[in-house]
Amino acid sequence: MVTLGDYLLVSGLLFTIGFAGVMLRRNIIIIFMSLELMLNAANLSLVAFSRFRVQPDGLPNYHAQVFVFFIITVAAAEVAVGLAIIVALYRARRTTHVEDIATLKF
Amino acid sequence: MDMNYLELLKLASPEAIVVATALAVLAVGLTSKNAPVLCSTVGVLGLILAAAEVFMLPFNATLFHGMLVISPLASLFKVICLTLAFFTVILARSDRSSRHHGEYLALLLLATIGLMLLVGSEELLMIFIGLELTGLALYVMTAFDKTDIRSAEAGLKYFLFGSTASAFTLFGLSLVYGMCATTGLAAIAQKLVAQPLSPLLAAGIVMTLIGFAFKIAAAPFHLWAPDAYQGAPVSSAAFIASGSKVASFVVLGKIVLVGFGPAHGSAAWHAMVAGWMPVLAVLAALSIVLGNLVALAQSNVRRLLAYSAVAHAGYTLLGLVAGGREGFSATLFYTTVYAFTLVGAFGVVALVRRETGGDDFVNFSALWSRSPLLAGCMAIFMLSLAGLPPLAGFFGKFYLFSAAMRAGENHGLLWLVALALFGSLISLYYYLIILKVIFSEPALSEVERGHQNLEHPGQPRGRLREGGDFLQRTTVAVLAIAVLFFGILPGALLARIIAALP
Repeated sequence: MVTLGDYLLVSGLLFTIGFAGVMLRRNIIIIFMSLELMLNAANLSLVAFSRFRVQPDGLPNYHAQVFVFFIITVAAAEVAVGLAIIVALYRARRTTHVEDIATLKF
Repeated sequence: MDMNYLELLKLASPEAIVVATALAVLAVGLTSKNAPVLCSTVGVLGLILAAAEVFMLPFNATLFHGMLVISPLASLFKVICLTLAFFTVILARSDRSSRHHGEYLALLLLATIGLMLLVGSEELLMIFIGLELTGLALYVMTAFDKTDIRSAEAGLKYFLFGSTASAFTLFGLSLVYGMCATTGLAAIAQKLVAQPLSPLLAAGIVMTLIGFAFKIAAAPFHLWAPDAYQGAPVSSAAFIASGSKVASFVVLGKIVLVGFGPAHGSAAWHAMVAGWMPVLAVLAALSIVLGNLVALAQSNVRRLLAYSAVAHAGYTLLGLVAGGREGFSATLFYTTVYAFTLVGAFGVVALVRRETGGDDFVNFSALWSRSPLLAGCMAIFMLSLAGLPPLAGFFGKFYLFSAAMRAGENHGLLWLVALALFGSLISLYYYLIILKVIFSEPALSEVERGHQNLEHPGQPRGRLREGGDFLQRTTVAVLAIAVLFFGILPGALLARIIAALP
């Protein structure tokens, strides 16, 4: 039997991996993928809560599932905006590595 | 659930008008020959219409379990956000990136809709959507100037930090939802009364606050701010520093005081209790110290404003830490006054940048002899930020600090107030340095200014042309008068805010 705790553990793990990726990786595209991982960790925990916080009438709590659909849409919009900015930067600098992008400092 | 779409359209009419205006501006920008002027006119008219529509709304209404709330507080701050957008649209005309002016203004209007949704919602899903709508529009606006290599870089940094922060907020909200099984703020408060602060709930609250700390640029989550303020087109920076900040403080206040209210804890020096208050108190203390100290070392006006914004975020948090109606009203008053001051200051920066090609201290030297009006306005803005009477910043700080002093037993927040006072003292130094540059340094020789222009090719060179940008100058002057007015008669705004709070 998979419990709520198990889902939350996986979700927390996904979030940690995503955050570590954002902090440690040096390629913007990989950082970008890690960001998506963090959003999906939140999706997983929301769906798990929805499934396990059963309402008095026996139905799952649907608030969270609606929330998840909106997050998926927002994440898609974020990808569009993020990739556009990366392309604009690549045209100017010919690089996708964060170390090379340091005109603005302190 | 009663689904009445006609009523929804009626209650959301200000937002609907701004959406229509954004689309109209986009269309005008694509088709018209005389695009920039026409786009600005349409945008300004739409914003005025939307503000008028806010006044026509009913006094109180709630739709869909708090997803859309009409209250005096929401209406007041919708008007304030629309006013800030109005000034930003006028200032945006002096930017060089006017090749796609229609798109730029449409993004600005979309960000404004996000702000209106933020202040007019008491439900987690809507708040998240408002945050993202504002954020996504602002990321693009930051990266908008394709002729400036720093613009895309600032946009990328803002985007990466912003997305990470919203992922934190989202994860935090999911945990809070899991503990309370509801997404309405008032319902969350009811559930929190009944349960102790479990580790999962504490993690949820802290992660939510981290996301908001990013939005208001509180240390140590402020790293994006200096780059965005310096690299973005000036009008984008002005809107990030004003509109986005005001709405973030309104919604942060609603979340912590309404939603997380029962889990407040205590930030008193000898009696810290776990909750959101100590978290905000630590953020405030770090912001005040770090913002003020790093601002001392800056030589670029926009970067200096960014670090001072970090410090001001710290002061403003004091009101929320103090809590209650008095603390919240102090926070709202201060952030509103601060927003108008910063739009004005960025307006001066935009005009100076247009004439001299940069915004370092050298570009401001002897501004007094070149344009007494701009120099005078800048002096008012800087002294108000420093908190000198009789300007609005003084009264805002006074009200904030006294609210924090009175909060809790035995003046428990005295440590924070003392720190804030010390920070204000430091800040006086760097604001006065700007004034010294403006008023008492010799003017740049033509040779030096020519050299400046070589560093930034493509910038218009030459002297200040009085009258060339009459509208921008008038805007800056109006904002300076407003800062002076709210300093002499703070009640005009403060009474409205207090009356609007439930």
